[in-house]
Parts: sequence; C-alpha cells; structure tokens
Amino acid sequence: MKIIEKLNESKVPIVPIDKRLEKYRGKVLFPEKLAKANEILAKATLPKLHSDCPLN
Amino acid sequence: MNKPRYQYKTENHFEYFEFYSEGAKGIVKKVIEYQKTSNENIYNLAFGDYDEAAKGIDDLSVTNNGDSLKVLATVASTIYAFLEKHPNAMIIATGSTSVRTRLYRMGITNNLSEILEDFVIFGFTKNETWVEFEIDEDYEAFLVTKK
Repeated sequence: MKIIEKLNESKVPIVPIDKRLEKYRGKVLFPEKLAKANEILAKATLPKLHSDCPLN
Repeated sequence: MNKPRYQYKTENHFEYFEFYSEGAKGIVKKVIEYQKTSNENIYNLAFGDYDEAAKGIDDLSVTNNGDSLKVLATVASTIYAFLEKHPNAMIIATGSTSVRTRLYRMGITNNLSEILEDFVIFGFTKNETWVEFEIDEDYEAFLVTKK
C-alpha cells in the first residue's frame, strides 16, 4: 500500500487546506443547532473529566 | 475509524470542512462546522447539505444518497482532525431531529470500543444531566473530548 493511502486511512487523517473555505469564517452556518447546544449547555453542569483536563 | 469515508478539505483553523457525497441522487456538497458555543472551549458540531442555488446550508434535508454510513464516518473522521488541532476542546453534537439524534447514537454504539480508545463520550439525558455514554440509552445530545 502506498504511504499516502496509509496516511489517509489513519485515525488522524491528512487534511488538505483549501483557502476557499475561509469564506465561512465568522459565519454561523447552523444557528438553530448552535442555539440548541447553548440551551443544553446552560441546563446542566458539565461532566467531571480526568483531573488533568483543562476543562475541569 | 477505518470505515469508508469521503476525502474532505478544511481551512486553516479546522473549524469548517467540505466534502462531496456521491450516490443515487448525484453529487451533493456537504459542509461540516465546529462552531464556538457560549461555553469556552466547547464547539458545536453540525453538518448539512450546501444548497448551491440558495448559497446556504440545509441541515434538515434528507439527501437519500444511499451513503449515510459513509457520510457519518466522514463526519466522525473530522472529529479526529478537529481535536488534533484543538486538543483542549470538547465537542457537543445534537441531531436536528430526534430520528437523527438516534442515528448518531447508533453510529456511536456501533463504533464504541474504537471511540473509547481515544475519546471520552457523554450523553445528555432527559433528566438534563450528563452521564457517561451507555449503549441502548436515549440521549438528547453528546459531548466528546480527547482522553
């Protein structure tokens, strides 16, 4: 198998950067889902994670 | 997750991804977004079809392209890419419908052992608490972070 194919099948893939996607920057493409996520996050305390997690 | 998936591309911050679904209905452009929420370091994962005519996104569309597993595997793959770029982030995901949320749950269930090798995953219950993900339980949302 070629090296590039192996890389593409790895868990952390090699992702091409396309500057055209910068057009999305600053835009909220899914405002209703973001609102729903914020609503859920406001309802409950976040779960406890491992002690070295920066979110704790 | 070494399931068949589409090639995708991203921008410098790894917060927006694009790929093309190919199936019975033709080629459909899909966009994935990791949007900052009101909680620091928590990003909302959402994806949908890009409507070329309207120049907008439709996250309620049912493409019926016969490739939903491949699409989900592609979205799951971007989680690895996103968390590699944002290692301290958490990702919240909700379905746009209850049916779609169940589909996500099934996707997680079918790949749970592999997911747990790298990630911690929680479900948001109807009692409005976060609990560690368990198979066959219903959740309204999911929260994922790196171990």
